[in-house]
Amino acid sequence: MSLADYAGENRIRIAGIVAVVGVIVFTAAAMDLPIIDIVTVGFVERSLQAATPIALTAIGGLYAEKSGVFNIGVEGFMIFGAATAATMMWIISGGSPGQSDIWLAILASVLISLAFSIVFAILLIRYEADQIVAGLALWFIGLGFGPFMAVLVWDSRNSPSLESINDLTVPVLADIPVLGPIFFDTSPLVLFTAVLAVAAWKFLNDTRYGYWIQAAGENPEALDTAGISVTRVRYAAVIFSGVMAGLGGAVLLAQAGSFTGTGETMVSGRGWIGIVAYLFGNYNPLGAGVAALVFGGLDMLQIQLQTVGINVPNRLVNLFPYVGVIVVLTVWGSTRTPSAVGEPYESEE
Amino acid sequence: MSGSSGRLYAAIDRAADRMLRASVIERLAIATASTALALLIGVTIVAAAGYDPVQFITNMLEGALGGRSAIARTLRFSTLFILTGVAVAVAFRAGVFNIGVQGQFVVGGFATIMSIIWTAPLLPEGIVGGVGLLLIGFLAGIFAGGAYGALPGALKAYADANVIITTIMLNFIATGVVGWLVQNPFRGEGNAAPNTERIPEYVSLPSIVFDSSGFSIIGLGIALATVAVIFVVMERSRFGYDMVTSGHQESAATYSGVGAKRTVVLTMTLSGMVAGLAGAVFAIMIQGYYTDPSGIGTYGFDAIAVSLLAANNPLGIIPAGLLFGGLDSAGSHIGIYTDVPVQLIDGVIGLVILFVAVPELFRMAAERIGLGGESR
Repeated sequence: MSLADYAGENRIRIAGIVAVVGVIVFTAAAMDLPIIDIVTVGFVERSLQAATPIALTAIGGLYAEKSGVFNIGVEGFMIFGAATAATMMWIISGGSPGQSDIWLAILASVLISLAFSIVFAILLIRYEADQIVAGLALWFIGLGFGPFMAVLVWDSRNSPSLESINDLTVPVLADIPVLGPIFFDTSPLVLFTAVLAVAAWKFLNDTRYGYWIQAAGENPEALDTAGISVTRVRYAAVIFSGVMAGLGGAVLLAQAGSFTGTGETMVSGRGWIGIVAYLFGNYNPLGAGVAALVFGGLDMLQIQLQTVGINVPNRLVNLFPYVGVIVVLTVWGSTRTPSAVGEPYESEE
Repeated sequence: MSGSSGRLYAAIDRAADRMLRASVIERLAIATASTALALLIGVTIVAAAGYDPVQFITNMLEGALGGRSAIARTLRFSTLFILTGVAVAVAFRAGVFNIGVQGQFVVGGFATIMSIIWTAPLLPEGIVGGVGLLLIGFLAGIFAGGAYGALPGALKAYADANVIITTIMLNFIATGVVGWLVQNPFRGEGNAAPNTERIPEYVSLPSIVFDSSGFSIIGLGIALATVAVIFVVMERSRFGYDMVTSGHQESAATYSGVGAKRTVVLTMTLSGMVAGLAGAVFAIMIQGYYTDPSGIGTYGFDAIAVSLLAANNPLGIIPAGLLFGGLDSAGSHIGIYTDVPVQLIDGVIGLVILFVAVPELFRMAAERIGLGGESR
């Protein structure tokens, strides 16, 4: 599916986004708000950084759902990803982490997420767990054991200040106006996520395995008849989604530079927002990435409003992404889910 | 998400089917096994983290049942778990995944406190005024909780917005907005902490039997009465029948003329009303003022485990609520007297939910060791 096809199929959706942006711009102009001052290069850069964890999680969740399994546990995986990355960074570095420790911590966190994902996938697929309840359970397990790990290591639900990832400046490219600072003088994880989104999109639509994943969700019988194991494809997709969400959590931590375990932890609903991002992006990894950017932008609006002198209390501005999710679900509620989602598949053999 | 909600209903259908086929004994066995396995994992983690597991278990039992004040604390938590558990059960039974009980609980409790503070100057002090204010507070809590539940219900019915996600978002919004309100416009005068003013002393549930602050047997009575009312509504009334049918078999319900949309809204409203009542009991019986909700217990979340353990049956909520009351009470004891992180209890609650979601696990295990006998 080319971009043009995608645009064609989603005309209403795209028109909707354009309309919303239009209304916002119009209101802002009517109220005499300095839009140019709000949408700065710095704002786009921060929004992209805020969007990366959400986008990574969304891409994983999308693969699982495409294959016919609703992995609603991504929020829990994100919490584990962030908590293990933080504790690993501390343990590996012996208490004084540097840049290389961040990468090792992300790697360790991904490996641990892999182990958890395998167990979760077995419960969902082999033991036919109720996907919704088990996914919720994973969230609660994360809310408990994430801070638990922090207390074991630091005697507090929050970690002390660790290390956050440095910007990567690509010579020459960073000097391009606007695009330079946004993509080539920023957290390398942003660029990584952008590349991954494109790769995930190509893989899903242009490779044989990508078709298998889609068939496992749309028409598992046909895939089975073609001699491909539906179960195996689903295992791969669910494990991938868990790993991606764990990575999302680790990336969130790497950008924040410390772990927060109070309340709903530092993840604070980003996994759920990731699910909405791929619904909003109509199960297309690129669409999910753009949707994640919208939520990332809402998340970062606070600094912008402050700089132009609009004083809305932080506590309330922080709620914008959640309100945004409800608006999105209300306006674009009816997405078409793959037809076999949620149904365990039992081969005839 | 018409496709997805159809799918969701189908999934719930199957789960319900499985539940109905399972005998009461089997359900009990699954609930017991889930809890036991979760606790076992919890104790293993405690041991792995370098604490003494035997000491830990002793502390747990002491915290839940050791002495009058421990029992009062257990019953105090149980009261809240029974109420919030019923709120969850109402919705889950009807196939509506209301994860927003926590938010409805917060909004309800906040409305209770504010309505009492605002109307207190208008009523006489003393017993008459106290009872009047209690009634006003409870009604305000029930109303606010119901309204906050009706919102995602209506969004589901008329815009097909996924209830799981909208209710989770509304939880965040409730915590954020109420947290801001108690910090700023409604903060009590001269309060250093982000709290509202206290409600008058004479507005309280009397301590009978247990002379413990924060627990009144009347609160427990309200919880048990709510169980009875909801049981009758769900099992014996036309509305309850419609609710459960539309939850289990959407198509059948549509054929028999049940307005599926209306049922979703009403179910969410009823569920929110019970959650709001729970919030009112929490606000009046335990706190006497309202504080930043990010610091209060996650009763509305844990209630999901309570309801699932009880197979969403209102009567089953009572033992499940008592069990969770004991767990939480043990948790606060551990938090005070040991250095085992209390977050462990939250994790164990999550594990309970996980195991309840996988009845097959126990069924297969039972078959392997020759229990139960019957093949699926």
